[in-house]
Amino acid sequence: MIGLYAKAAAGAVLPRPSSLPDTVRTRTVRPTVGRVADYAAVCGFPLSDVLPATFPHVLAFGLQMELMAARSFPLALPGLVHVANAITLHRAIGLGEELDVRVHAERFAAHARGAQVDLVSAVSAGDTVVWEGRSTYLARGAHAPTGVAGELPEVATPEGPAAASWALGADLGRRYAAVSGDVNPIHLNPLTAKAFGFPRTIAHGMWTAAHALAALQGRLPEALTYTVLFRKPLLLPSRPELVTERVDGGWDLAVRSRAGVHLAGSVR
Amino acid sequence: MRKAAVIGGNRIPFARANGKYARASNLDMLTTTLDGLVARFGLADERLGEVVAGAVLKHSRDFNLTREAVLGSRLAPSTPAYDIQQACGTGLEATIAVANKIALGQIESGVAGGVDTASDAPIAVNEDLRKVLVALNGARTLQQRLKLLGKLRPGQIVPEIPQNSEPRTGLSMGEHAAITAREWGVSREAQDELAALSHQHLAAAYDRGFFDDLVTPYLGLTRDDNLRPDSTVEKLARLTPVFGKGDGATMTAGNSTPLTDGAALTLLGSDEWAAAHNLPVLARFVDAETAAVDYVHGRDGLLTAPVYAVPRLLERNGLTLQDFDFYEIHEAFASTVLATLAAWEDPGFAKERLGLDAPLGSIDRSRLNVAGSSLAAGHPFAATGGRIVSTLAKLLHEKGSGRGLISICAAGGQGVVAILEAAA
Repeated sequence: MIGLYAKAAAGAVLPRPSSLPDTVRTRTVRPTVGRVADYAAVCGFPLSDVLPATFPHVLAFGLQMELMAARSFPLALPGLVHVANAITLHRAIGLGEELDVRVHAERFAAHARGAQVDLVSAVSAGDTVVWEGRSTYLARGAHAPTGVAGELPEVATPEGPAAASWALGADLGRRYAAVSGDVNPIHLNPLTAKAFGFPRTIAHGMWTAAHALAALQGRLPEALTYTVLFRKPLLLPSRPELVTERVDGGWDLAVRSRAGVHLAGSVR
Repeated sequence: MRKAAVIGGNRIPFARANGKYARASNLDMLTTTLDGLVARFGLADERLGEVVAGAVLKHSRDFNLTREAVLGSRLAPSTPAYDIQQACGTGLEATIAVANKIALGQIESGVAGGVDTASDAPIAVNEDLRKVLVALNGARTLQQRLKLLGKLRPGQIVPEIPQNSEPRTGLSMGEHAAITAREWGVSREAQDELAALSHQHLAAAYDRGFFDDLVTPYLGLTRDDNLRPDSTVEKLARLTPVFGKGDGATMTAGNSTPLTDGAALTLLGSDEWAAAHNLPVLARFVDAETAAVDYVHGRDGLLTAPVYAVPRLLERNGLTLQDFDFYEIHEAFASTVLATLAAWEDPGFAKERLGLDAPLGSIDRSRLNVAGSSLAAGHPFAATGGRIVSTLAKLLHEKGSGRGLISICAAGGQGVVAILEAAA
C-alpha cells in the first residue's frame, strides 16, 4: 500500500482524464479471527462472533486505493480528503463468512472548493448485500468538468456533556494503519504529516468513527446506518471527548476537543 | 422460603489454551456469553436483579469484569453486577449467591457463572522491578528518581507468569492430586476408564442435540475442542504419567483436565418472574454447602473438601448419598473423582474424619457425569460451575423428576457442593 502512495505521488503531476473510469474492483475474502481481533483491539470493539459494523470498510479500502491510485482516476491520490462516510449494515455479519467486496467510484462533480467524488463499496455474502459504504472525498483546488457536488448528509452535532474522554497516543495513526492498511503518510509520522501541512500526525477519520461506534456497544441495533462527517483534523497525541445523545430511532454523536468538532455522526 | 428456579444457561464451547480463543479476553468471552443468553431468553433491554460472575486468572484492569460485561451487553445498563472469585468454585458460588437472593426475595432474577482464559493470562512485571516502579511513582525529587533508577537490573525484565500451583506449598494442583490418588490407591485403569467415559458421554450428548440450547458457537468452534469422541481406555493407557513420581505414577494428560478458555452462565429467577416472561423452569436450586480443608499442615488432600461438604449438606436436607438421580462431580482430575467416591465409601474415614457412624456409601456409577464433564469439555476454572449447573438443570428437566448433586473441588483446599431438584 505504501507503494501505491509512492506511485501516486510520483504521478501526481501527470495529466489525468476528466471523467471517472467505469472500473469495478472486486475481491473475495474471509476475514481471519486474528485480523478481526487486531482491528477490534485498536478500535475498541469486543472480539465477538460478528464483525464490527465498521470493519468491512477496511476490506474495501484496499480496492478504493487501487482505484484511486490508478492513472485512469481523474484526481491525484495525495491531497484527497475524506470528508464524509456512510455505512449501512443490513444484518450482522458472522466472523468466518466468505464475503465478496465490490468498489466503484461515482458522483464525480465540481465543488465550491475543488472536486468531490464518492467511492462506493458493497459487501455481499452469497447473493445478499449485507453491508454498503459510501466514502466521500474532496480534492481541494481540483477541477471536475461538470455538475454540482452531491450534498453531504445532514448530521446533527450534539453538544451535551462528555460521555467519554479518550487519551490518544502519538502512535495511534501507525496502530490503525497496521490494522486497516491505510498508510496515508499524514497518519504515520510527524515529518511526513508536516509535508502535507499538518503540525503533527492526525488520527484516521475512520478510526475516530469506529471508536465512537464501539462506545455504543450493546446499545446498537443489529442493522444500522452510520453516517459521519469529518470536520477538523484530530491531531495526535490528544485528549478529545465523545458526546452521545439518544434520539428517536438511534443516536447522534460527536467527537470534539478544544480545537473544535472533529466528527459528527448519526446512527439510525 | 421459596427456591430459586434454574431457567437455562448459555456457554461458549470450551477451547484448549492457546488455540481458537487465543485472541479473546475474559471480557470478550463473558460479554459474548451474556449476549448469547440474552438472545436465547429474549432479555434485551431487560433489567435483571443482578449478574454475578468471576474469573480466576484476572488482569488488574478487569477489576469490574462482570459489570463491564453487562455494560457491553444487550441487557439494560441498569442491571447491577459484581465479581466473585473462589478458584474453581467461582461459578457455583456465584450461582449460590444469586439463588440465595432470589430465595430471600431480594431479587427476582439473576445470572451467575464465570469465565477464564489460560491463553490471555495476566503476566505481571518482575516483583523486584515492580517495587522499584512503585517507589519511582512516589518519588518527589530528581535525586530520588535517579537513585531508584540505579536499582534497575537486567534480570528484572523476566516477568512473573501465573503458575498453576498452590502459593503455600509450591506444588501444582496435579502434584497435590497425585498425593491423594496414591493415598486412596486409585488405579491408572480406573482413571483412564473415567476419562474415556467422560469423552464418550459428552460426545453422545452433543450428538443427540443436548447442548443445542446450552451452547452458542464462538470464533469457529461449535463443540469443545478438547473432546475426543473416539477416546478409549486403550488409547489413554499409552500416555506417560505427568504428575506424581516414580513407578506408582498414574496421572496423565489424558486423565487430567487441560488448561482451557471459555465462559458459562446460568439464568435463575423466581417462579413468578419466569412465568411473567413465559420461560419454563428447568429445575430448582435446593441448597448448597461449602467446606475447606487444611491441606497445608493437616492430613487432607488439596482437592478433598467436597468429601466434607457433602455429608453436611445431606444431613441438613435429610438425604442420603443414594437419593440422587444425577451426580455431577467436577473432573479436575479423574483421580479426584475416584478418591472422593472412595472416601465416601470408607468406614474408617467416615468415623475418624467425617465423624459419622457409617460411610455415605457408594453411588450408582451410571448416574455420574452422564453428559460428560471437565475431562472431556475442558475446565476454564470459573466457567465450570455454570456449565455444570445448566447441564444438570436440563438433565433434571428431561427426566421430569428427581434431584441431582453437584460437587466441585477448588484450589486453596476448598469445595462447593449443591443440590438441584427437578421443577415439579
